[in-house]
Amino acid sequence: MATENGDNVAPDSWDQDSDSQDASVDNLSKPLSNLNVNAPTFVPGQNIYAAEFVPSFLNKSNEDTPTPPPPTENTDPPPDAGKNPTSDEQMETEDTPPDNVADEWGDEEEEENGDDEEVEEKQKSKKTEDQESSGPKKEHVNVVFIGHVDAGKSTIGGHIMYLTGMVDKRTLEKYEREAKEKNRETWYLSWALDTNLEEREKGKTVEVGRAFFETENKHFTILDAPGHKSFVPNMIGGASQADLAVLVISARKGEFETGFERGGQTREHAMLVKTAGVKHLVVVINKMDDPTVQWSIDRYNECKEKLVPYLKKCGFNPKTDVFFLPVSGLTGAFLKYCPDETVCPWYRGPSLIDYLDQMSSFNRSSDQPVRLPVVDRYKDMGVILLGKLESGCIARNQSLLLMPNRATVKVMQLFSDDIETESAGPGENLKLKVSGVEEEDVTPGFVLCPADNLCNTGKVFDAQIVILEHKSIICAGYSAVLHIHACAEEVTIKALICIIDKKTGEKTQMKPRFVKQDQIAIARIEVNGGLICLETFKDFPQMGRFTLRDEGMVFSSIFSSPGRKSPES
Amino acid sequence: MATNGDVGESSADRNVEIWKIKKLIKSLEAARGNGTSMISLIIPPKDQISRVAKMLADEFGTASNIKSRVNRLSVLGAITSVQQRLKLYNKVPPNGLVIYCGTIVTDEGKEKKVNIDFEPFRPINTSLYLCDNKFHTEALTALLADDNKFGFIVMDGNGALFGTLSGNTREVLHKFTVDLPKKHGRGGQSALRFARLRMEKRHNYVRKVAEVAVQLFITNDKPNIAGLVLAGSADFKTELSQSDMFDPRLQAKIIKIVDVSYGGENGFNQAIELAADSLANVKFIQEKKLIGRYFEEISQDTGKYCFGVDDTLKALEMGAVDTLIVWENLDITRYVLKNHTTEVENILYLRPEQEKDKTHFIDKDTGVELELAEQMPLLEWFANNYKNFGATLEIITDKSQEGAQFVRGFGGIGGILRYQVDFQVFSANPDGFDDDYDLDDY
Repeated sequence: MATENGDNVAPDSWDQDSDSQDASVDNLSKPLSNLNVNAPTFVPGQNIYAAEFVPSFLNKSNEDTPTPPPPTENTDPPPDAGKNPTSDEQMETEDTPPDNVADEWGDEEEEENGDDEEVEEKQKSKKTEDQESSGPKKEHVNVVFIGHVDAGKSTIGGHIMYLTGMVDKRTLEKYEREAKEKNRETWYLSWALDTNLEEREKGKTVEVGRAFFETENKHFTILDAPGHKSFVPNMIGGASQADLAVLVISARKGEFETGFERGGQTREHAMLVKTAGVKHLVVVINKMDDPTVQWSIDRYNECKEKLVPYLKKCGFNPKTDVFFLPVSGLTGAFLKYCPDETVCPWYRGPSLIDYLDQMSSFNRSSDQPVRLPVVDRYKDMGVILLGKLESGCIARNQSLLLMPNRATVKVMQLFSDDIETESAGPGENLKLKVSGVEEEDVTPGFVLCPADNLCNTGKVFDAQIVILEHKSIICAGYSAVLHIHACAEEVTIKALICIIDKKTGEKTQMKPRFVKQDQIAIARIEVNGGLICLETFKDFPQMGRFTLRDEGMVFSSIFSSPGRKSPES
Repeated sequence: MATNGDVGESSADRNVEIWKIKKLIKSLEAARGNGTSMISLIIPPKDQISRVAKMLADEFGTASNIKSRVNRLSVLGAITSVQQRLKLYNKVPPNGLVIYCGTIVTDEGKEKKVNIDFEPFRPINTSLYLCDNKFHTEALTALLADDNKFGFIVMDGNGALFGTLSGNTREVLHKFTVDLPKKHGRGGQSALRFARLRMEKRHNYVRKVAEVAVQLFITNDKPNIAGLVLAGSADFKTELSQSDMFDPRLQAKIIKIVDVSYGGENGFNQAIELAADSLANVKFIQEKKLIGRYFEEISQDTGKYCFGVDDTLKALEMGAVDTLIVWENLDITRYVLKNHTTEVENILYLRPEQEKDKTHFIDKDTGVELELAEQMPLLEWFANNYKNFGATLEIITDKSQEGAQFVRGFGGIGGILRYQVDFQVFSANPDGFDDDYDLDDY
């Protein structure tokens, strides 16, 4: 298999070589950062000169003053700024969840994390041993960029792609020219990910953008989530595929505050990725180059201090699960290269890409049966399905069953992030060209699984739910939208079965009338639309984890489903 | 809420009134009679009694020519009773007058004479005189539904939903799904082609929505709605509102454009919520607010709430209930049973499935069968007696999210109390859903 791969993806290995070269340069440059600029040797077609590419308008300002003061254009209020206050008002009616309870939940989480880490460490040590022998197959990591509107998610994503050579300079120059024509000079980087016309017009990501880049050890898939409040459902779809989340925070004066207040997406997104199963969060404080910030360590610490308690409440352990770093998405500082000491003397690395690259690997189960929730599908000389392979391995010419329709499909071609391969392991973001099914017969939320080990389907299921934030009470008859893997369906709570004591974990009150915020309950849930695919949390955590959301703002977010299918389904 | 004042009082009374008429209409619709002996007479406000009396006299003359003897006699009888009823009024009441009269055949085949006259709660602008084998209640139904009707279009990337909101009814008229291409990052040479295909599909979608909107919301070249709310997640709604394809007659009716994050039913609910201030007078919104208040009491654990038949009645008797909330289709019946040996009266509240259990009708100690003194739906009893308890009665539907929760989770009966009441006995789950839970599974 390894040799086949080597043959097939010749450019891949080539990439890797040059990458390692880059990285070695990088490692050198850390202690000798002043020498860095002139250091790289020429590699054809590579991004050696990336650091030197500075957009023309930035150049001008650079000439005026030696330390890169941020471009004046930056101060223009973003197009969305005006909208934020209204959304804030809408959210103000909610109650603050009491700290202690959420902490409780967080503790539980930590226990779980602890277990995982052990496994991870084992894996890591195993991995390092294996690395030489296993050859060119790099570990796949899916990274979702989350954060408030206009925090700079797409810009960072675009810049990373540029720095890693995924977007060539010419295309970027074209974007820059076009952006300038529209008087939106700072947007050009995000255009690498915002490909739709509407998205470019307004500078707002609507659908989750997808791209990939490679580092020395890993292969990353970028999922660029929309930050706007109305598109949170799209964002959940992206988050459900992620192993790792990068929370982008704008340090610019006023923007951080609106993003973090009630109604800001920072809070909701952080909570949603946690419930979607993301264990590790990288918080990047963006726009450090802004005139209101100017790489001030005080501002950085201020943002950090405000964020930590909340992230803790969401269930992230600030010591082990969260990493903070300052960046500038526009200038590219600390994305791949660390800027001069004159710019930022108080933080010297690692840069975002370095950090991501060094992260310990994830616990993946390749021996489990295949589960691939379909995120999207389209027709392009055959039916193409998109999705992240949650567990198992898929090879070309393999026959699989598409649930819940029980349609037999055959994998004709297999692309892992646009690169055709023979087989794929868990965690990879795949495009499958399949035969045996029509495009119209597939909808997002369907699951590919092997014929001898089918995915469970059902209409009614029992699950444990945690009410994270809800202003009123929830009782039988409550309807909400269920997000499970790639699927979003309207559901109704049919009955509440019991309440679980948070401290002791015992089932206390049988058949309660209602549940309130911060309570844990077991409920019977019915899907209004039809059959959905789901698994018990025990067997497939990622397929048994779901979120309930209602009316956009009050979301009662939920976690862990024992998912017993009721006989009446 | 002792400050509820006259306004709140009268509006609550009115709702009870509406509910009574609804019930009346239901019973009238079901009634059937012989031949054409069922008379429906509706006199609009400011009409003259004497004119109607004269018309009835003429009709009486015409009817005496009916060949069939049975039919003739029953029609003549009905007209005579209507005339007698009319004599009780010296002028038409301000809201008009409605009279139904005739002999109905009951299920057992017996004949029963019915003569109903009442003044509707709102001016009725219909003049009607009909003899048929059934009562004509269309005008009354229209009166009930006469609230302003608001149209909703919820469109997002997955599909569109068309609905209306009128009074306390929320209705989904039509919904369809679409399949729009998302961004796949595919492209290369054909990136532009894909972009164009995408634009075309989106354009067609907007066109389709605009066309369906015209079909649904325009009848006889006139909009059949008082206002239109557009909701959606992406730009579609603004695109629709500015598009040339959208009918200008509907465009003029747009009262609000709201941002919702989901399509479908959930989006519809959310759109209603967000447009609440524009639709403040709609009963549906008031109902939501009321139950929302009730839920707030519960979530804050003030103790100023009650639910379940027993607790609610206890609270009522204590005079603690400020607002009594009852589901309109509550199927609990109130029985007054009399033990004819001891002359003790016993009151029971039974659900339909409990009624089948005959042990309720037998005295436990003596084994004597109890005599049924009175049988009445509980809601009707509330409607007649709520004033005696100093409460206001709110009759709600299960159409809204809150309403559905109230009915499904709290059994459809409850109340907001004036002060905290400690209910010693917690009624153990009256609505026994199947006990097929196995807790070991969790």
